Amino acid sequence: MTNNRPSGFANPWFQLGLNIICVVLYELLLKAGAKATADPSKSWSWIGITGLASPLIWLAIVVIILDLVIWLYVLKYIPLSIAFPLSRLVDVLVPISCWLILKEGISSLRWCGIALVIIGLAIVAKPAARLEERL
Amino acid sequence: MTWWSLVLILVWLGTFVAGQLFFKRAMESSRMAGFQNRQTISILSAGILLMTVSFFLNLGLLQRFDLSYLYPFQGLSVIIIMLMAAVILKEKLTLRLTIGTLLITAGVVLVSMS
Repeated sequence: MTNNRPSGFANPWFQLGLNIICVVLYELLLKAGAKATADPSKSWSWIGITGLASPLIWLAIVVIILDLVIWLYVLKYIPLSIAFPLSRLVDVLVPISCWLILKEGISSLRWCGIALVIIGLAIVAKPAARLEERL
Repeated sequence: MTWWSLVLILVWLGTFVAGQLFFKRAMESSRMAGFQNRQTISILSAGILLMTVSFFLNLGLLQRFDLSYLYPFQGLSVIIIMLMAAVILKEKLTLRLTIGTLLITAGVVLVSMS
């Protein structure tokens, strides 16, 4: 690897953070859109195409495309085996944002799961930090 | 869960994982040869195609199942992608990275079980 890692806004770790925010946003949009357009009576609706009737899905698609560009940029600099586990911070942020924004309850078992993900992320972040030194 | 929905979940996961691998390959190729390069464009297009298939399957599955039911499968993708990155992309796996990834997956499964 080279020493010319971009800094500031172009920093790949910063972009990884942006990627995570985009994923949380579009996951919530997709679920809301899918729920609004669910029509399980049609056999071909398995392919999810009926979801396109919802404006929420289209908004989600815009966020997904933006996210794809960000993600490709991240992959240009960070190995997939490190970037992908770190991107799963989403799995912590989605339930917590449901708890904070939608006032949904979180059971103690769920808090344990969230804690496990955070510990796992902290462990993965160490090789990531070492990678940063090498970059 | 019927065998049909299991097949769809597996195809959804498979296309998702393959898409990520194609993306990484495309970005490696772009580092060497740039974005105008034919190889970069074709690998990237294959990745986008796979991700599109995965996206619509995900949507169809979300219409039928709760997000909390589908989430553990998404959690599995973390392990699968890490292994595939090591085998196919020859990325280096450390013990630490493996343990961290396993914990993340276990956490995701626990979150969705509760």
